[in-house]
Amino acid sequence: MTASAARAARPLLGAAVFLAVLGLWQAEARRHPSYLFPAASAVLERASHVWPTSEFLSDVVSSLERLGAGYVIGAGVGVALGLVLGSSVGLRRLLEPLTELLRATPAISIVPAAIVLFGLGEAMHVAVIAFAVCFPVLVNTVEGVRAVSPEVRDTAAMLQVGPVERAVRIHLPAALPQIFAGLRIALSAAVILLVISEFVGAGDGVGHYITFQQSQFNTEEVYGGILFLGLLGYVLNRLFLVVERRVLAWHYGAVGESGR
Amino acid sequence: MPRAVEQEAHAGVVLRVDSLSKRYAENGPPALSDVAFEVRRGELLAVVGPSGCGKTTLLRIVCGLTSASAGTVFLDARPVLRPPREIAVVFQDYSRSLFPWLTVVRNVMFPLRRTQASRAERLATAEAALEELGLRGVARKYPWQLSGGMQQRVAIARALVSRPEILLLDEPFASVDALTRAELQDVLLRVHGEHRRVTIVHVTHDIDEAAYLADRVLVMTPAPGRVVRLVDVELPRPRAQTATRSSDRFLAVRNEIQEAITEQQALQRGGERQ
Amino acid sequence: MAAAFGTGIVAPLSRVPKGTIVAGGARILKRGNLSGWLFVVLVAGLAEVIVRAGNLGDSVAAPSAAVRALASELWAGRLSQAIVTTLHVYAEGLAVAIAIGVVAGIAIGSSRTLLAASSVVLEFLRAVPAVALIPLAILWFGLGVPMHRFVIAYAATWPILIATLYGVRGTDRLLHDVARTAGETRLGTVVRVTAPAALPGIAAGIRLSAVIALNVAVTVEFINGGGGIGAYMQRQQNAYNLPELYGAIVLTALLGYAIHLTLRAAEQRALFWVGEHRLESR
Repeated sequence: MTASAARAARPLLGAAVFLAVLGLWQAEARRHPSYLFPAASAVLERASHVWPTSEFLSDVVSSLERLGAGYVIGAGVGVALGLVLGSSVGLRRLLEPLTELLRATPAISIVPAAIVLFGLGEAMHVAVIAFAVCFPVLVNTVEGVRAVSPEVRDTAAMLQVGPVERAVRIHLPAALPQIFAGLRIALSAAVILLVISEFVGAGDGVGHYITFQQSQFNTEEVYGGILFLGLLGYVLNRLFLVVERRVLAWHYGAVGESGR
Repeated sequence: MPRAVEQEAHAGVVLRVDSLSKRYAENGPPALSDVAFEVRRGELLAVVGPSGCGKTTLLRIVCGLTSASAGTVFLDARPVLRPPREIAVVFQDYSRSLFPWLTVVRNVMFPLRRTQASRAERLATAEAALEELGLRGVARKYPWQLSGGMQQRVAIARALVSRPEILLLDEPFASVDALTRAELQDVLLRVHGEHRRVTIVHVTHDIDEAAYLADRVLVMTPAPGRVVRLVDVELPRPRAQTATRSSDRFLAVRNEIQEAITEQQALQRGGERQ
Repeated sequence: MAAAFGTGIVAPLSRVPKGTIVAGGARILKRGNLSGWLFVVLVAGLAEVIVRAGNLGDSVAAPSAAVRALASELWAGRLSQAIVTTLHVYAEGLAVAIAIGVVAGIAIGSSRTLLAASSVVLEFLRAVPAVALIPLAILWFGLGVPMHRFVIAYAATWPILIATLYGVRGTDRLLHDVARTAGETRLGTVVRVTAPAALPGIAAGIRLSAVIALNVAVTVEFINGGGGIGAYMQRQQNAYNLPELYGAIVLTALLGYAIHLTLRAAEQRALFWVGEHRLESR
């Protein structure tokens, strides 16, 4: 095979391997049926019945609403705080131990406190997600601001840029690539905390659906729910990349596609 | 003080550096020691010296980015305490001083954001500035899409668009290849000569460049940074790469600069041996 | 009051079984930033005042109460078993994750064919958060320690695998060429050039995984009970023992911080050839 043909075949190879694994799974499940490892076909069949129902869809909507609200709030707070902290070395040193301690707190340990504070309702989910989202965004924003080149800083000083304008019109765009790195990490953190908070405290939502099915020993539905989560995560990631590519078009050009 | 102001206005002195000293660490070596000189309105003053002589430190103090340990800088007879709006700076590393998230024309428009002009007017002014620097058709591009020489022209255009009194350049052509450098030198001369008559202070380590560009050359030597010579170039304008550089006067000027530096280096070595 | 609060902080620190927190604490003090820590104390003090003055004792525990509860629980030995349980399963899960993550990462990173072949499967598996697998893991393993270990290992493998992968692929091609001209075999190159060059990335991945693994360990316990810190938190939450609950939260934060500091110190010592800035920026 020529080199270019080999290169073209590579993505297909990945898909082929994936399908092969699925095929193996399917064959094994047929030969040794076990309720713990249902055939992929059975899972998909069940899913095709469950997913379009209004119940499941309303679960999905609930989850997405919580995710959206928590993500936006957490990201907003993270970027705002990050811009402030990034611009002031003194403030950063002052807040460093506190930030590090909060960051080291496993997000799960916020859940019981959130439950006590907010009960088991929407506010709890949103608060927990926002907390988890805030930190990666904050940390990456601060990093991004710190990395602004001295030439840009000097130029801004010469151009009479005041502190507020500097944060918004200089630091923010300059740090945007790094901020997006944090936003991406925060996205997976948000999904995780969504699931956790729904396992623990919800009456609805995808997480609740999975947990409920597990309590009923509906293995196929549990697999299906997890499959849905995986797809959701994948789709969200793709969407994120699309947005990132558009917003950071100037950056990709400057450093090349692979650079960061 | 009032008399000095009168005198300065009379002599057309736009910038006065008075006994400037700079020490970075408490008991560390002085980076600059008792530097004093004047810059006349409309002239092109080159500051030349080997690496480590404090040229960049001097420039940073003059434009208010760094503070001096002793001495003052007077701009139009007023002391410089923070970056004044009358001074514009062009740095050596153009790729890092142009804002990468803005297109070329938006970069050039940036200094005008506070003015009363409408967006259309600001756009027109910026495009005119780019034209002056010989840049065509690059307005909508991003800085990284341009060559090094073109990026530096954009940086100069941005510096000039707000009509500063003084343009400071910190080794602006050091990062481009020799051919582009010659081109950029001529661009700078043209800009200085044509409608601007802006005062230029040009820091460089290249003796030939200093002699080619300047009306006067300030020669500095390192450790600690001091002014050792002020050379009047007295070459006719407009200057040309081949004609001017092959003239006798040019040779005399650049040799005078070279000798001043070599002399200092020998003195220093002699001093070290003792 | 500050003094009482102060002893509240110091006492439990010296009682915690692992020496890491004490070592970490000493390192923090040595690094300075006294003002930063004073600020933490200040914030805690403010929280104390707000809770007491605003009579919020029903929903939030005052910091002093939380710390006192933590101290007494530790002193009475009620927490030490929980800590040991959690750290035990945490360490096992993390060890498995490191083993799998590094080996797989190097293997996949070194071979473009393997990378292409595994890409779809990996992307698919990676998209599933480990905690979402808990119900599945329960069905597979039941409610015991193996289930916990599985979920922790699953969660912790990904950052290490990805970091190793990037570390390996990011290795300067120049180094590979040098190895080749020196007559090094494929395996030899991997061992002598690729692996060491990828170490900073791997180390960063492990540091990230270590914190994630602790998160997941406590999470699984919280959701499913058992003997660890997470289960303890759940019990306290159910019993509405707010000081004990918040005390446990403080404990997990300190544990996480200690692990982070320990690993960072170990990393800087082992990887002395890498500049601090490159390690810091992860």
